[in-house]
Amino acid sequence: MTLQREKRDYSWGMVVDVDKCTGCQACVLACQAENNVPLNLQDRFERARAMQWIRVERYWEGEFPDVKARFIPIMCQHCENAPCEPVCPVFATYHNNEGLNVQVYNRCVGTRYCANGCPYIVRFFNYWEPVWPEAFRNHLNPDVTVRSRGIMEKCSFCVQRIRRGVRNAERDGRKVVDGEIQTACTQACPTDALVFGNFNDEDSKVSKMKKDDRHYTLLPHLATDPNVVYLAQIDTDRSAGESHG
Amino acid sequence: MLAALLDFLREKHRTTPTWLKVLIPVLGVGSLGVVAVLGAVLAFIVTAWLGQPIPVLGFDQTIEQPIPFSHTIHAGTGVYENSLGDQVQGLGMDCTFCHRTVTTQANAGIPPVQFCAYCHQVIGKNESEPLTQIRMSAGIIGDNPQPINWKRVHRMPDHVRFVHEPHVRYLLDHPQAITGTSTGTNIGAASVCSTCHGDVASMKGTVTQVEPLKMGQCVNCHRDNNAPTDCASCHH
Repeated sequence: MTLQREKRDYSWGMVVDVDKCTGCQACVLACQAENNVPLNLQDRFERARAMQWIRVERYWEGEFPDVKARFIPIMCQHCENAPCEPVCPVFATYHNNEGLNVQVYNRCVGTRYCANGCPYIVRFFNYWEPVWPEAFRNHLNPDVTVRSRGIMEKCSFCVQRIRRGVRNAERDGRKVVDGEIQTACTQACPTDALVFGNFNDEDSKVSKMKKDDRHYTLLPHLATDPNVVYLAQIDTDRSAGESHG
Repeated sequence: MLAALLDFLREKHRTTPTWLKVLIPVLGVGSLGVVAVLGAVLAFIVTAWLGQPIPVLGFDQTIEQPIPFSHTIHAGTGVYENSLGDQVQGLGMDCTFCHRTVTTQANAGIPPVQFCAYCHQVIGKNESEPLTQIRMSAGIIGDNPQPINWKRVHRMPDHVRFVHEPHVRYLLDHPQAITGTSTGTNIGAASVCSTCHGDVASMKGTVTQVEPLKMGQCVNCHRDNNAPTDCASCHH
């Protein structure tokens, strides 16, 4: 079941080729820098309150020495039927008609219902006023709001970059070209495992990648209809069987 | 009937202790005062909510600039008095002549002081105090150039991402959407800017914020001009 929305020029989405992901965490770093995400010190991790708008989950497979590390980057899935949206009492999170799950910081009152509703655990609550070292003062991105204590935040698909790209396209009187807008994580990814683009454009790179047989979405039984599509890892060992050694 | 009432009041007057006789009128007048103060506070909050706060208790919108820059002489078209008391013809310069990045970027931009010095190393009398400061800042006089700490007048809250470029572009293309009037040059950017900034070309002394620039004003204008009203357009 997908809600019928007004047809717009753009439907932003991302394709993650898990087969290409090396787990280098460049996307995590780029996201922290782009979106003014507070520093995660050790005690934040120990209290399970670290903020990572995108995180690389690691799984070990097999027994040593035949052990394999598998990585999967997980960010807000921008679900079309998002479980986080209807639970917000103040409409601080909603779905816009470009496929973005938007978090409006100045509307948020910090009930944390959305974070409890999210099955992907990609929403993060500011339990403390974010503090940066003095050296970081002028490193904050001026295009992104610095979130204060008591509000929820999450991946925005770098909406500030989307706005800038759309604005530049409008100024030149054209549509956004495929690949013109890149989120911080897709720009930083050295193997192009993350690709951002417009699903409404049939010729865009993400639309073509989405047609791959390997495509799947996370937790499909919840019918959240995410705008982030994953391409499964090609398991050469398993397809080669025992002969691979 | 009347006699009974008078008797009752006399009895009350006799039995009421003196301290209570003093306290009751004090409380009556005092409560009126409390109501008056609360009413004034409520009126202040309502006006500040709907528009600009009333200029009392330091809520004055006037901001003192380090140098009394005159927008009237530069942008206006009338005859004005300068800091030396001379009558000067307004230049009618376009806003974008100094605020150059307004048509390309988010910020309108304050010109660097060297920009002032392009003209003012020759234009203007040596006795003028503001021009002396400009020339010292630009390094023409003295050997200790210091930047001028201009005070910001129009400040958006931190959760709003306002970008000048698309607004100026739209209003230049659609002059019917311009709601302000400017006494400066009515062609070009001056009348565009006056939609939100008021008639800066006629502001003597320092520039003040005349429009409330609250979200309601933004949204109304966006609705009227079929601009996006999606929250993420401005809040991100």
